[in-house]
Amino acid sequence: MNDKEISRYYKQTLLPLIGADGQELLGKSTVVIAGCGALGTSLANTMVRSGVGNVVIIDRDYIDYDNLPRQILFDEEDIRRGLPKSVAAAEKLRLVNSSVNIVPVVADLTSSNIEELFSGADLILDGTDNFETRFLINEACDKMKIPWVYAGVVSTYGMIYATIPGETPCLNCFINNIPAPGSFPTCATTGVLNTAVSMVTSIEATEGLKILMGRKSAISEKLIYVDVWHNITKNFVIKKSEESLCRICDEHKYELLKGETGVKAVSLCGHNSVQVTPASLIGVPFEDLALRLKKSGEVKFNNYMMKFTIPGYEFTIFPDGRTIIKGAVEESEGKSLYAEYIGY
Amino acid sequence: MKVKVKLFATLRDGRFSEKEFEIEAGSDVELLLKMFNLKHEDVPIIFINGRHADFDTRIMDNDDIAFFPPIGGG
Repeated sequence: MNDKEISRYYKQTLLPLIGADGQELLGKSTVVIAGCGALGTSLANTMVRSGVGNVVIIDRDYIDYDNLPRQILFDEEDIRRGLPKSVAAAEKLRLVNSSVNIVPVVADLTSSNIEELFSGADLILDGTDNFETRFLINEACDKMKIPWVYAGVVSTYGMIYATIPGETPCLNCFINNIPAPGSFPTCATTGVLNTAVSMVTSIEATEGLKILMGRKSAISEKLIYVDVWHNITKNFVIKKSEESLCRICDEHKYELLKGETGVKAVSLCGHNSVQVTPASLIGVPFEDLALRLKKSGEVKFNNYMMKFTIPGYEFTIFPDGRTIIKGAVEESEGKSLYAEYIGY
Repeated sequence: MKVKVKLFATLRDGRFSEKEFEIEAGSDVELLLKMFNLKHEDVPIIFINGRHADFDTRIMDNDDIAFFPPIGGG
């Protein structure tokens, strides 16, 4: 470190658990932040301010007003300028720490680009809003032997779990298969408290910093559950099954990574619509989904389809989960809306 | 036998957060799901005494069982 860096990071290096050696390691590290929404902006902010040398920020979306209560790097001017999230985040953070190499990527993280985008990374931090991308990250990280930290947040609570490939159980060891579309609450249907996001990302980023600095004994091997409103923090041991092998971290079968399965979005030419087809057509529970969606817009359904309308968009949801979103133009926009309201 | 069941997050809605139950010896997690009208996809994350468990895991006397929905927002 040069004199300026020694001075800048003095209060970090003063901590024995970081020290000058830890700071040096952070400076040489590359972190990929997958998703730049509520989790991702907070994670990117911490990584850049901490002095991580290279920070790659991947996101497929643009900023909207309903992002501003939680997504700490964005402001109204970014919306007026029509900036993609990763670009706006990079602009802000370059003003914070010009010595960090910040690489914004405006892209949907898929089986066709994930290995290239993760190449050279020392750590992946989960800022995504859907399980399919998390399971794709889990496969890519197992294959590429890159540590990653899962985190999810809804309402007032969240979960965090760090995986070190080859050493600790993976996401698939405790969540068997990708949760079915429409079967769980999302931030758009249940709501989310901004302080829950801060709490989850504080833990997620801290686990990430421990990994980058090689502080192995300090890394939590447990799944951490927090509820900021009810003041609950709990840790749970993840153990590998004694009866069966994990298809990801034991058998290394990468179905999502091979593109054999996964959510598909297709722009329907001339219809101003995008059709989103989930990976597994196992059925969407209309009654449960209607209860959640009613909080966000108008819902009508019969046995054959559900119509869900919000300003600018009309969703036609079929019982197998296939959905046509009128008003969506880009395929990535369709996937984002599907993740936000139906969940996959 | 006596067991303690803890529900987290949205699983508490219309149910309970923590309750003790008397169940038959030899029961597995599946039986509890039926008792609470929960489907597999509702509770992909299960812990018994703080350790990860599956639907077919046998429950023992005085076990502490925790159920979680998927938490996927970001």
